[in-house]
Amino acid sequence: MFLSLAIVAQIIVAVLLIIALMVGNAVVMVYMERKVAGFIQRRPGPYEVGPYGTLQAICDSMKLLAKQLYRPGNVDLILYYLAPILAFFPVLLLYLPIPFGPYLTALPVGDGVILILAFAGLGVLSNLLAGWSSNNKYSLLGAARAVSQTVAYEIPMILALLAVVFLSGSTDLKVVTDQQGPWPWQWNIVLQPLAFFIYLVSLVGETNRAPFDLPEAESELAAGFHTEYSGMGFALFFLSEYANMLLVSFVAAVFFLGGYKGPIADGFWWIFIKAYALMFFMVWIRWTFPRVRFDQLLNINWKWLLPLGLFNLWLTAAVIKVAF
Amino acid sequence: MTFGSLNFVNPFGVWENPGSTAGDFYAVNFEKKAVSGRVILNLGPQHPSTHGVLRVLVELDGEYVARAEPVLGYLHRMHEKMGEVKTPWQFIPNMGRVDYLHPLAWNWAFVGAAEKLAGLTVPERAEYLRVIGCELNRIGSHLLWWGAFVMDLGGFTPILYAFEEREKINDILQIITGSRLTMANFRFGGVCADADERFFRLCAEFIPYLRERLKMYKGLVTDNVILRRRLEGIGPIDVDLCQRYGATGPILRAAGLARDTRKDYPYGVYPKLDFPIPTGPINDSFGRYLVRLAEIETSLSIIEQAIKDIPQGPIIMDKAPKATWKLPAGESYFTVEGARGQIAAHITSDGGKNPYRVKLRAPGFSNLSLFAEAAKGTLLADAIAILGSLDLVIPEIDR
Amino acid sequence: MSDPEKWLANWRAAGAWSLSRHDLAKEGLLASAFLPTKAILNCAKELKEANFSLLDLSALETQEGFVVTYHFDSLNEPGRLAFRALVPHKKPHLPSLYDVFQGAEWHERETADFFGLIFDQNPNLIPLLLADDHYGPPPLRKNPADLAPLKKLGLLGSFEILDPDFGALIGEDSQKESQS
Repeated sequence: MFLSLAIVAQIIVAVLLIIALMVGNAVVMVYMERKVAGFIQRRPGPYEVGPYGTLQAICDSMKLLAKQLYRPGNVDLILYYLAPILAFFPVLLLYLPIPFGPYLTALPVGDGVILILAFAGLGVLSNLLAGWSSNNKYSLLGAARAVSQTVAYEIPMILALLAVVFLSGSTDLKVVTDQQGPWPWQWNIVLQPLAFFIYLVSLVGETNRAPFDLPEAESELAAGFHTEYSGMGFALFFLSEYANMLLVSFVAAVFFLGGYKGPIADGFWWIFIKAYALMFFMVWIRWTFPRVRFDQLLNINWKWLLPLGLFNLWLTAAVIKVAF
Repeated sequence: MTFGSLNFVNPFGVWENPGSTAGDFYAVNFEKKAVSGRVILNLGPQHPSTHGVLRVLVELDGEYVARAEPVLGYLHRMHEKMGEVKTPWQFIPNMGRVDYLHPLAWNWAFVGAAEKLAGLTVPERAEYLRVIGCELNRIGSHLLWWGAFVMDLGGFTPILYAFEEREKINDILQIITGSRLTMANFRFGGVCADADERFFRLCAEFIPYLRERLKMYKGLVTDNVILRRRLEGIGPIDVDLCQRYGATGPILRAAGLARDTRKDYPYGVYPKLDFPIPTGPINDSFGRYLVRLAEIETSLSIIEQAIKDIPQGPIIMDKAPKATWKLPAGESYFTVEGARGQIAAHITSDGGKNPYRVKLRAPGFSNLSLFAEAAKGTLLADAIAILGSLDLVIPEIDR
Repeated sequence: MSDPEKWLANWRAAGAWSLSRHDLAKEGLLASAFLPTKAILNCAKELKEANFSLLDLSALETQEGFVVTYHFDSLNEPGRLAFRALVPHKKPHLPSLYDVFQGAEWHERETADFFGLIFDQNPNLIPLLLADDHYGPPPLRKNPADLAPLKKLGLLGSFEILDPDFGALIGEDSQKESQS
């Protein structure tokens, strides 16, 4: 009884901290995204509000909070308001099993990977509901794209993670981290470069970021599934997109880049540095590449990433069988 | 219906708007021919990639475009009527407003038609200034198209690079035209302001600068594998399609025909300048992309020659027409090569105060009309790419 | 340059009302002709077979009726040709060129908007540039008092008139060959 109460308290504190992390991450990412885009496009980016424009993101979120919730006619009310909430909350759960430090895990579960992969699939449900309930053809097309894209990109993602799980023999993220050493050549990326590459491509597809941002391709579908959302509804989608990005970056850091381990002092700072380096990479390619076409996107997945992932998995399994 | 002294019968009969759920007149009309169960999508008039207020009704079979129909007129200003109620001199500023990206070509079309009709001669320095202005303008137009086109394909960054160059062009053109957007420095018999030393210096600096930048663009954008996959083989427009729809300009040249009004119907000092007509190796969207980028280089070489050869002298003829000038009776059809194709001004005059009729041929109008056929059976994303590759400027199409 | 004489002979055979030769440098045309409305479609077909393209369609209103000018340009070599149709005020009907040049659809719809002309067989004769509920007369129609006679507009260049009725209508002597 006492034990379970302690766990409940721990989870509550953890969830609060995770919400703070998600919101803080969104603020940082809005600023980073706009500043990096500015530098790539040879313009200063935000620089009016606060020193170097650092308060811009705060002001933006204030605006989103204060904005009127506009709802178009003939929407499916329940689903319309449920969708942004559904986009936001599953992401919360996904942060629970991630080991941020040697003793810093919200909920140390043995099957962390399974938990993450299971709940990551829920995000697509919110996209589908948002697109369906908005009573807008652009949203509907965006939702259809979101579903087929996210479902498709989950498979190579799982295959890439499975290869690492084979290697470390555990689905516990803590164990996976512990198997890697502090130095870069001791990380799983050295043993599994192909899996890392597959994961890198599919994390861009999974989070609907450019050049794979087909569900919200604004030059084709206006804003895709969230065309009809304003104010906080839009902000929740926005928040969950950045939270999703951060999550997949954390997972990548844990599985391939040694997690919280680093050359000098182990700790949560290492996993944050690694995750934000990946985030920077995602921002960078967003502002550099044009968007792929939808059939090309699915072709990349089904014709390249999936066979490569299967091959990599088979190779890993074979090597483990022979060598150990 | 009687209106004033006119007895007018609406030739189309009376329409009724059947209510908000069924859509407006055009949507209802479009839906009549639709196969049931297909989605009718309204692209525009407010849509990120219709470059203004073009509206395209699309019948979607899955994500394939089964049928498309552009709906025009959201930016219609009836310039042709304004031509009839203003004196020719008063009408010149209108020409800067027809096509905001290549206003000087439109200036030239109207002014040239009037000059041909009245038999005015233009001093040589003015002709050179016209050529330099027109070509700088063309580069600006192509650059902005380039940025906007890549943005249609989802690449945000190039348009900001393109604007940077266009700003430089505007800085140069500002010296001789006095404005940065709706330029109208042409006058009957010449131009209104002379170029100073700074103008030629900035031109001479700009040419090598842009050449360097074009090399960078080739590496950064043209050779990008995603861009190529998005464009190669998409929306082939062959000579037959161009012929049936009257398409001109880069579209016709990408189809392989070296037709350029500057060579076919020489005007100004173009016969004295040596320049090639770039034609496309392929007639798809990527071919049109390459032709336009090659035209930027062509224009640069024209400017280079023109600033070398420009003579001293007057910039406007003696006794140039004033505001009350009347066109002699007659008809004149004058064509110039705009950034989007052949621009024509067709002036008919009965010798009165105002022209009797001014007809403006907008190249974008004919170029857009082939979209419905070119987009048939393509994916929605490809249809957007084709629309972008036609280089649309809506004010010009709607006039 | 395309050969205007060949086309003038063609149009003469098609029953043209008048033939004109123009100065390309001044008027921007090589040759033009007034054709009876019946002959328009066939002449357009001939031009299409000779690789011409319909570049422009412009109309204007005169005392005698609407003058609709079809501008053609060859894809092989430069040389602009035009033929015109005179449409009476009372029966403003014209055949559509849609079957030959699909691009004519939009030009015709625009002309229908501005002048109230009706192009039969146009598959989609709905307003193009004007609003669908446009009220009032077509904007480019003129007040009858402001209409100019066709003769005054200099559309004919150096002409010869083949149809005496047409000559009588526009007030030119059908026997005379003018060098204006």
